[in-house]
This record gives sequence, structure tokens and C-alpha cells, in this order.
Amino acid sequence: MNAVGVAAHAREHARPIRIIRPPTWRNLYGLDAIARLLEYRDLLLTLSAHRLSVRYKQSILGSLWAVLQPLAMMVVFTAVFSRLARMPSEAAPYALFAYAGLLPWTLFASSVSSGTTSLVTNAMLVTKVSFPREILPATYVIAALVDLVIASVALVGMLVFYAVPVTIHALWVLPIVALLGAFSLACAMLLGALQVRIRDIGIALTVVLQLWMFGSPVLYPLSAVPHSARWWYIVNPMAGFVDGFRRAVLGQRLDLQALAVASIITAALVPLAFVVFKQLDATVADVV
Amino acid sequence: MSSDHSGALDLRLRGVGKRYRLAMPDRPRKRRWSRQRASEFWALRDVSFDVRPGETLGIVGPNGAGKSTLFKLLAGISSPTTGEIQVRGRLAAMIEVGSGFHPELTGRENVYLSGAILGMRRAEITAKLPQIVEFAGIGAFIDTPTKWYSSGMYVRLGFAVSAHIDPDILLVDEVLAVGDEAFQERCFERIHALREAGTTIVLISHDLNAVERLCQRALLLQSGVIVADAPPLEIVRKHRQWAAAVNTSVPAGYRHDSVVRITGGGCIDALGRPLTIVRTGDPLRLRLPFSVEAPIDGVAFEVFFTTQGGSVLHCQQTTALDGYMSLDTGSSEIEFSCDEIGLQPGVYTITALASRDGGSVLDSHTFPARLVVEPGKMVRGYFYMPHRWTMRRHASSSQSSRDEAFGPAVRRVVR
Repeated sequence: MNAVGVAAHAREHARPIRIIRPPTWRNLYGLDAIARLLEYRDLLLTLSAHRLSVRYKQSILGSLWAVLQPLAMMVVFTAVFSRLARMPSEAAPYALFAYAGLLPWTLFASSVSSGTTSLVTNAMLVTKVSFPREILPATYVIAALVDLVIASVALVGMLVFYAVPVTIHALWVLPIVALLGAFSLACAMLLGALQVRIRDIGIALTVVLQLWMFGSPVLYPLSAVPHSARWWYIVNPMAGFVDGFRRAVLGQRLDLQALAVASIITAALVPLAFVVFKQLDATVADVV
Repeated sequence: MSSDHSGALDLRLRGVGKRYRLAMPDRPRKRRWSRQRASEFWALRDVSFDVRPGETLGIVGPNGAGKSTLFKLLAGISSPTTGEIQVRGRLAAMIEVGSGFHPELTGRENVYLSGAILGMRRAEITAKLPQIVEFAGIGAFIDTPTKWYSSGMYVRLGFAVSAHIDPDILLVDEVLAVGDEAFQERCFERIHALREAGTTIVLISHDLNAVERLCQRALLLQSGVIVADAPPLEIVRKHRQWAAAVNTSVPAGYRHDSVVRITGGGCIDALGRPLTIVRTGDPLRLRLPFSVEAPIDGVAFEVFFTTQGGSVLHCQQTTALDGYMSLDTGSSEIEFSCDEIGLQPGVYTITALASRDGGSVLDSHTFPARLVVEPGKMVRGYFYMPHRWTMRRHASSSQSSRDEAFGPAVRRVVR
């Protein structure tokens, strides 16, 4: 009891004042929300670690699945597109080409699909405890980033196997993955907040992601897109990110134009998604 | 408490309202996208109050009064529709977070997880882990996956985590619904300790005894509006009176045979004056006037004490001692009296019934005024037992042992 007393007095110095008002589009949740998010950084880390440790509990292969999933897809797509359809792969072995495309795509797809349902899946927490809820979709993005790192081990193996020289150029991967993570988070937040009210989103998402993958240069090179359609094509940020990631890994010259478009769209989408999320989040506990 | 921040309030609510849109499940599908207004419901309307530092405030009200909504707004789980809430300092809710546990994770991992969700830093959780484990009574099971916990352990651990945040403002919502008596007592002790340490406490509960026991001040919430702000004793009394006044539609009595009619009935005190409030352990008398139209035998009277939920707690019948009665034409009165009533605090409905030959009901009558029982000679439990304490000195010295009944001093202890 004494310890409690001491703690209470030690805290007395600075008590922040928080004002809860009805949500309006006018307050843009700028610094306040970000400060609160920083207070909860431990939650972000704990919850992300928890996602990873829970995912493969009671599975024999454990985190090997992070490698096996894209690898299996790679094998299937290589069989279909390389052997049967003779897909161009910009001078790289098709297996390597496809795997290097599937990694950033898997990051995006798994972040968005689990991030979208995150508020509904965690309804128990959402309706009981107050915390910055953008942490929920964010943890799925972080988990997907860790999966990407694990799956990259196989990528390195393939690079060695196909004797592709790895140079300093590969460091481009880092900013590209960071931007891709931000884009994935923005999509997950937007769709996640809407999903609470419109459950159709979660249902439609599986199909949409399938189509989106074929609309992105995952299994074919960006250079294969007809020049007339190119502008329309690279408005999809995944075009710039997937192509950029692969070119960085394979040591090819980057398509800076596509990357720039993707980065600008991401830079615009992140704050928009945050504001929309915060706005819808204010009453999410009433609907979820 | 501390007067150094006299101007500052820990909680300040001004004109807070919360509107819910009610979903209409039976609405035709084609109207789903039309702009027609869904029906609205104000769970809270224009709620304003202040809480000073170190104050312990209770908020009581019947079901559906808006208590849970107010809790959600204060805890920051949902936003108000109108008004403004100002919170000074770290606010934490004492709730059971076991539902947020992941069954595959161990108790320890889950404590870290739920602690983080409640806004605790990792280092803080590490420092408090031994206390949390002890509080929950989990012991060695802390490193077992929670899926193998008993439901009691699950709930206790879920609650223990939130009980160990050291907030500036503590929000408590129905603590007493959690765990067994011993655990509830530990929760009470914890709240007491926080209160002694100067934590501001808001207790939202329909447990009137808890509010009486812990709070300095209370608000009565009814239909989303604060109707009273007073010391807890007064609020609790108001709430009980209000609950007693609510008219329950009692079926008009199944009068198969109107030879005997119960013409009224009520509780009276020792001097025969009408009475609606008694304390546990007080004497109680019930008056049952009745009229008889033709001589009849084989009659029995019964009185039922029913809770607001409708369950019969107690029933007494005249046949128990005297056998069936033979009644003559005219008006008479029968009285039920009891030296010390055993009912725990609450609101009760009393029904009197006359029957014949232990079967057919002649008449029944529900007392228009409900009986309000306030805390009296009862410490804790489900009913009061009329009793007496006796101390007996062992005959270690050659004196013969002598019973020593306790006087009024003991009575005070019992109270």
C-alpha cells in the first residue's frame, strides 16, 4: 500500500489532460494521436511478437511456413508460366524472377487481408479496452515484414544457386520495403475501419487481391506491359514496389518513374488513411 | 486529500450525450441504401458532473439507465455524440481482460500482452508480475498455456492485470461479478489501497452495497439522465425507493372462488404504522385484512416474498402450526409477524394468498408497496440468521465455567 502511495506521488508532477469530444473531420488527430501512439509502442511490439509466436504454435514446421508458402506458389507459377506459357522474365531464371516478385506481393496481400479483419477479429479488445486501435492492423503488417525477412533466406539461397551477383545495389530493397510496408498499412487501416461497418469488404477482398496480383508485375515483368497502357498501369503502387524490389535484388536498373509514382501515392495515402481510420474508429466500439 | 491542486478537476463532463442508431433487422432489403433515418436512441443525455482529485464517486442506476455507456465514454472506448469529457492524468479501467487472452500463450505471456493493451510499459509489468500472480492466486501455473486454466483462474488472472495498473483515475465496473467471495474481497482491498493512496475512483455499479461501502458521493442515473447527486446512503435509498415504486403489472389474482377475499395488506411497524423500509434483522409485521361471505373451513393463508427477478425467496403458510382454519362470515384480519427478518438488502414483493384444502386458490393479493430492505445486522452472505453469541470461559482455574452472553457491545461488532 505504501508502494502504491509513493508511486502515486511520484507521478503527481505531470498529469496530461485529455479531452474527449465527438469525432469531427475538423480535428485531424495529428500530434495528439501520434503522441498517444508513441505511449503505446510497447503494445505494438508485444502484440506483433504475439502474432508471430501464436501463428505457428502447434505446427511442426513452425516459422518455416513463412518460406514454404511463397516457395510453393513459386513452384506452381514456374510450372505454369515458365513451362507452359513461356512468360518473359527479363533474362533471370523464371523461378528466381517469380520468387522475387512473390515476396513483396505476399507482404502486401497478407498485411491487407489480415489487417482488414483485425478490428472485427479483436472485437473483444476493441469493445473493452481503450488503446490506439491502428496498432491492430499495424501488428499484422509487422508480422508480415518479419515473414518477408524469413522468406528472404530462401531468396538469398536462390541467388547463390543461380550465381546472380549481389551488389550494393541490393540495398535499394530497404527503402522499397519500408514504403511498401507503409502502403500496406494504409490499405489495411482504410479497409479495416470500413470493414467494421461494411462486412462485404472482407468477403470481396479475396477475389480483389487475386485480380490485383494479376494486375501487378508479380509473374511477368513490368516491361511486358504495352507502352500505351503504362501510365494506367503504374498508378497501381504495387507495380512500382514489386518491380522495384525485384530489380534491386537481381541487380537490374530500377524503373525510377514507376517507383516515384508509387511513393507519391503512398505519401498521400498514409495520412488520409490515418485520418479516416481515426474518424471511423471513434465509434467503432458501438458497431463492431 | 491533496489540496495543492485545488482548481484542477480529475474528471469534468459537460453536456455529454450519446446517441445510438438502432439496427432494424426486419427492414426490407431494398431500403437498405435509402437515406431514411434509422431509429435513434439516446443512451445518455446532457450529463455533466465533476470529480475532484482523490474523490470516490459511485454511479448507480437500474439496468438500461446508461451506466455501461457512461463507462465506455469515460474509458475512451467510444466517443460521445455531444459534449466534452476532460480527463486529467492516466485513467485506467479495472476490468476482466481474460477475453483478450490468447489460449495458446502462457499466463505470463498473456499478462504482458494484456498489460500492454491496458497501457502498461513492459518494465512496469515485469516489476508487478509477482504481485499480479499472487493476487490472482495462480502460483506455478503462470507458465502454463491459459487454455489449460480453469475458468476461475482465467477470470482471476484477467482481472488481476487490470487491478495492478497505478492510475491517477480508476474506473471500476461491476467488480463484484468476478470470482469467488475471497477474490472479491481482495479486489475490495485493492480498491481501498488505491483510494488511500489518493487515487480518484469512479465506481459504476448496480451493486448498491459496494457503492455504499466505498464511495463518498454518488450519482443516480435514470434513463440516461443524472437525477440525483448526493451522499451514497441517500442515493442508495432513492434508488431502492424508485425500484419499489415501479409498478409491476401483477395478474389480477386468480379468483376461482370469492368466498374469502383478501381486502388489503401491508407491512407495519411495532406500533402498527405502515412501513416500507426495514433493515435486515429488524422485526416485521404484515397485516392481512380479509372478508368472508359464507362460513368456510379448510382455509390456509400464505405469504410469499419474491425478488424483483420473480423468484420466491420465502413462503410461510398458516397450516404449518395451526392446521386449516374454519372461518365465519364477516371481516377479520390475520397478522404475520417475525422478530428478525432474514432477507438481505434489496427490494421485495410480498404476495398473500388464501387457499382451501391445500389446493384451490380462494384469493391472492400482491401488496401495492414493495418492501425495501436496507443493510442491517448482516455482514455478508445471502440471508441473515437470527443469532446470539456466547463466550464460555474454560474451567482451567477451579471456578465452574460460566456462560457470558455478550451485551450491546457485541451487537455493534456484528453490525
